[in-house]
Amino acid sequence: MKSTSHNLIMSALYNGRKGDRPPAGNPTSIVCHGLMDAAGVSFPEAHLDANAMADLALAGHEILGFDTVMPEYSVHQESAALGCDVDWGDRDNMPDSKTSPYAEFSEVKIPENILEKPSLRVVLDALSILRHKVGDRVAIFGKVMGPWTLSYHMAGTQNFLLQIGMGEKEKVIKMMRQMMPLTITFARAQFRAGAHVVVLADHVTGDLAGPYHYQELLLPIHKEITSQIGGPLILHVCGDCNDRLDLFAEAGFEAYHFEFQMDAKEVVRKVGNRMSLVGCINNPQVLFQGTPEDAYAQARYAIAAGVNIIGPECAIPLATPLENVKAIVSAVQEGY
Amino acid sequence: MSNHLDEIKNAVIQGRHKEIEDLVKAAIEGKASINEIVNDALIAAMDVVGQKFADKGIFVPEMLVSAITMKKGLDLIKPLLKGKETESRGTIIMCTVKGDIHDIGKNLVIMMLEGAGFHVIDLGVDITVEKLIQTVEKMKPNILGLSALLTTTMPEMKKVIEELNVRELRDHVRVMVGGAPVNAAFAEKIGADAYGKDAVEAVEISRRFVGQTQRFLL
Repeated sequence: MKSTSHNLIMSALYNGRKGDRPPAGNPTSIVCHGLMDAAGVSFPEAHLDANAMADLALAGHEILGFDTVMPEYSVHQESAALGCDVDWGDRDNMPDSKTSPYAEFSEVKIPENILEKPSLRVVLDALSILRHKVGDRVAIFGKVMGPWTLSYHMAGTQNFLLQIGMGEKEKVIKMMRQMMPLTITFARAQFRAGAHVVVLADHVTGDLAGPYHYQELLLPIHKEITSQIGGPLILHVCGDCNDRLDLFAEAGFEAYHFEFQMDAKEVVRKVGNRMSLVGCINNPQVLFQGTPEDAYAQARYAIAAGVNIIGPECAIPLATPLENVKAIVSAVQEGY
Repeated sequence: MSNHLDEIKNAVIQGRHKEIEDLVKAAIEGKASINEIVNDALIAAMDVVGQKFADKGIFVPEMLVSAITMKKGLDLIKPLLKGKETESRGTIIMCTVKGDIHDIGKNLVIMMLEGAGFHVIDLGVDITVEKLIQTVEKMKPNILGLSALLTTTMPEMKKVIEELNVRELRDHVRVMVGGAPVNAAFAEKIGADAYGKDAVEAVEISRRFVGQTQRFLL
């Protein structure tokens, strides 16, 4: 196998040939002030303009040395398209949604031309630009939100969780089933636009919900989604998810992107060959507040544990020192 | 009488929010004391709920419903307290710091603190250092609780503590911090008095700070 960035990532996603080193990949944002400065592109432009979005993603490969380019930095592209009032932030602040338009769990109408809404079109255009620029040399990651996360945005996170607690199963499932076609449509469109892989972020995190919630409410939906999308999918769920790894492995994702608070060796042991693993360098203590040596040591630990693709555990803080992120790449360049 | 209290306690633990008002009314008619209903049923139930949450036996959805159930019970009792002297376990100001609008963690902490008998002033989210300091000066709380979900907003906690020092308020209020990116090392580094990893720990810390000998006397 030629050890190109693209091949290393794709092979790692299917637990195939290892090539001469493990790949560094970022299912979530690696944008920090240093990267914005180096690329000459800043937030919020990189959320709103396809060329700026693509340029910043490309900087992740050309400046930091990651084997992936991933142009979606916020979790609010879909919610903006569905009518949430999104504050796109600035150089120091990530976007946030200010409203929850379906707090009453009323019928959600997904417009037929949803892919033409500016917040979705910009991602599709950025993916096309990236495919044109990197072809098949570098792995292009797209990203979509799953029905659970979209329901947080539509109904409000606390409100959505409260309905679950009150046993309003039908209401909750109905909301997610209304969201599911958007997840599928946007993911398919991203593959058509040029993505090699799509990340599906669905925050059924151990900090908020239980494994039994996932099993009863979301797992059947995830199974339908994975069966209806042809290309490879990486599931991203933050937090401690040790108690639901078996369920994630049942859902049909090619890989799972996990956090450092779950021990890499233990996660590899539990998951086995059922899906590949991506992660898991700690954000707050290591990448943000630590040193390059700390980041390097964690990356080497993850490689030794058998994690297939090495990268930050989640979107990195904007004030993260660039050198700490580069240390992840230094660690993978040393090989296995 | 204890049967009434057990029923109330179980209803809160199980989040049976539609039944709680009838159960509390029945307990009052059955001559249970308000003190017993509050301390031995409602507050005792939230202690059990908190422990189950800490043990990962339940998660946020169930905890939210139990908290709402308890609040419905307390709301029914409040009118009966008029004219009676009440004493809370202490006053706590809670907020999510400037630049951060995430509030589920903060809200859970508040529900548990109220369930444990504390008087909580919820300032909300995205609160500036200046507003916090003004409120501390005015309300003179026992404890100030600061929450942040984002790594980008964690430094705001440090600014609050620095300003408390500048205004010579630091010795009069205990500061506890929490939120997903925060840990004990960070709390120590910025000069906070405590880090709580979840709502249950926040209650334990608050009880320790204010003193466990005080009973919620009504």
